[in-house]
Amino acid sequence: MAADEPVIAVSDLTRRFGARTALSSVTLRIPRGGVYGLVGANGAGKTTLIRHLLGLLRAEEGSVRVFGLDPVADPVGVLSRIGYLSEENDLPGWMRVDELIRYSRAFYPAWDDAYAEELRTRFALDPAAKIGTLSKGQKARAGLVVALAYRPELLVLDEPSSGLDPIVRRDILGAVLRTIADEGRTVLFSSHLLEEVEQVADHVTMIRQGEIVLSAPLQEVRDAHGGASLDEIFVERIGSA
Amino acid sequence: MRTPAAAIAWEFGQRHRRGLMALLASVVVLGAIRIAVLTTEPHPELGDLTFALLVPVPFAATFLYLLAVFTFGISGDIAARESMYPPRMFTLPVSTAALAGWPMLYGSAAMMLLWFAMRVAAIFPSGAAVPMYWPALFAASLLAWTQALTWMPYPFRGMRIVISIALLISIDVVVFTALATRPRESTMCLLLSPLLPLAYVTALSAVGRARRSDVPNWRTRATPAVTSSAPQRDFRSQAHAQLWFEWRQFGRTLPLLVAIVLPAALSMLFLFHETDAIVIEIVLSSLLLPSFLAIFVAATAGKTSANASDSYGITPFLATRPVDDRAIVVAKWRAAALSTIVTWMIVGVAVPIALVASHATEPIVDIARNVTDALGRPRAIVVGLLILAGLIASTWKQLVQGLCIAMSGRDGAVKGIAFATLVALTAGFFALGWILNSRVRMAVAWYAIPWLMAMFVALKLVLATEIMRRGFARGLFNRTQLIIGAIVWDVCVFAVYGVLVLVLPEILVRRHTLLLVAMLFVPLVRLAATPLAVARNRHR
Repeated sequence: MAADEPVIAVSDLTRRFGARTALSSVTLRIPRGGVYGLVGANGAGKTTLIRHLLGLLRAEEGSVRVFGLDPVADPVGVLSRIGYLSEENDLPGWMRVDELIRYSRAFYPAWDDAYAEELRTRFALDPAAKIGTLSKGQKARAGLVVALAYRPELLVLDEPSSGLDPIVRRDILGAVLRTIADEGRTVLFSSHLLEEVEQVADHVTMIRQGEIVLSAPLQEVRDAHGGASLDEIFVERIGSA
Repeated sequence: MRTPAAAIAWEFGQRHRRGLMALLASVVVLGAIRIAVLTTEPHPELGDLTFALLVPVPFAATFLYLLAVFTFGISGDIAARESMYPPRMFTLPVSTAALAGWPMLYGSAAMMLLWFAMRVAAIFPSGAAVPMYWPALFAASLLAWTQALTWMPYPFRGMRIVISIALLISIDVVVFTALATRPRESTMCLLLSPLLPLAYVTALSAVGRARRSDVPNWRTRATPAVTSSAPQRDFRSQAHAQLWFEWRQFGRTLPLLVAIVLPAALSMLFLFHETDAIVIEIVLSSLLLPSFLAIFVAATAGKTSANASDSYGITPFLATRPVDDRAIVVAKWRAAALSTIVTWMIVGVAVPIALVASHATEPIVDIARNVTDALGRPRAIVVGLLILAGLIASTWKQLVQGLCIAMSGRDGAVKGIAFATLVALTAGFFALGWILNSRVRMAVAWYAIPWLMAMFVALKLVLATEIMRRGFARGLFNRTQLIIGAIVWDVCVFAVYGVLVLVLPEILVRRHTLLLVAMLFVPLVRLAATPLAVARNRHR
């Protein structure tokens, strides 16, 4: 992959579920480095777009490339470089935290044991605790440990802090900031908690009913709207939907 | 719905309406078969021939189904310490007695009704005195105790499995030891009657503890908590990690089911040990049990989450593992192989013990002696080992060949296939009995068999070609893998053919028929289709 090639390149992506159009001619290019906030109301198409990036949905129309690769045709090449934390947090409830770490480590040659242990300790996760017995916040932390421990080139967070308390949200944002600190890495962060996106994102993409209505650097967006907050811009561009 | 009892009943009925309708239909089919048999000319041998497959097998399948329904599903993590009672019900404004009592009452009633329906509709061996009430009570007690043990929280992981097996086997042993004394039905009912109230009291305590999240934890008492995530051992590779995942997820299900059902099946030896034909049928049924149960386990084996009881979609957790679609399938196949080995170790221990304990070894020894006389000792040993190998291979085959359906993510197909298989098996064995009952029909079938087999082989090869073409087009298989796959399949076919030629003289079965048998036996289409099913499910 060339240095100037975008990490994510989506072209004219359209996806329909029955009669409903979930994504309509979405085009998006995300270059290497930085934090990209993907914002939109519930059902706007954020998760559908992210699932295409992970290869969990096949592009019916248009194309999706991550690191220059098709995530459906080459899941190993793409997924081994992505850290992913989903809103659903479907970690296997029967695993213990240490088993989850041990299991996940087998898939990533770049796994950093010391970093994983550091994250686990910082998040106060008991290695003997079963995932199924953890609170929602603890599950999110466990998911974050295994998404970060191999220092992925691209971190994809799909509504990671939805329904979580401020402390867990702070942990997640901290992890995002730390990722940014590691040169050259990219974060794609979907959320409807706009103050969160405002805190860490340097580029924002707004999506409404499957269409991208705005995609620009955050400062540029603010300047264009007379220094308004992201909340106000969101209400103006999306709230009318 | 004005009462909690009606609401709980409605949930069972609504959620499992298709399965319950299918169960009802299977009883009706059994009844129709019985009427058809009893209203035509006498078929004294038909009862014996089809008894095992027309009564114990459907009964065991429906028993397991009702077990899953009334314990609120056994597809969860059965080894977990926590209760398997659904937590969502704990917040309902009803007493714990109602939460434990109504499902147990409905389950017990369903089991009793199932037995009475079987008693009326099914064909039993001529001359056998089939009791009316105690088997119903026995079935209800087994279900009630399974419910109680399933809903109980345990101090350490895996304890539920150990206690369940031990207790259910103990009940079986006590009951069938009592049977050895040829008691009257009233005595058996008296013996069994305390089991239900005792199960209720246990379930009440279990649900009460689960409701207040009272999960005992021996670690907090006996040993200090582990404070480091330093692993006990690393997985040698992704493949080993994924094998561990699949084993923990579904690999233990088949051995567990066999460990539960087999003692019940073998305990019939104590009842019928003096009837040689039934002893042979029970042993045959026991040997066929792993393959049969594997059909149903295969449906859960396709699930990627123990918690997603209603969905066969691949969870994002598994779908985002950086492995290709084939690796996910191969891990399932390897876990299935491990599961098969453990299952057959259980069968290998339980069947001889039951035969000896019930003094029912004689008919089996007679068969072995006759085969040895006919073939000679070395050849008889080879034949025995080959049959055993065939049964083991068949168990693995049943576990993996259903994966192409289960892993496709199509819930309807998954649920339909188990019922269709049961119907096909029942109908097939009935048809077999019908054919064997007439020399003319046997002669016609004998000549038609090679042609039918040739037709199926042609269909198999056409389907396999199409699947491989699609897999190749989607990048799931490359040219080398297809060539290697074809060579491996050919080698397996010729190996099976060679064995068949060795065992069966040409005067009995023609060589080309044996080749067709081998081609049909060695799996191809469904194995090749599994990566395609996974790819479809993973990248929708």
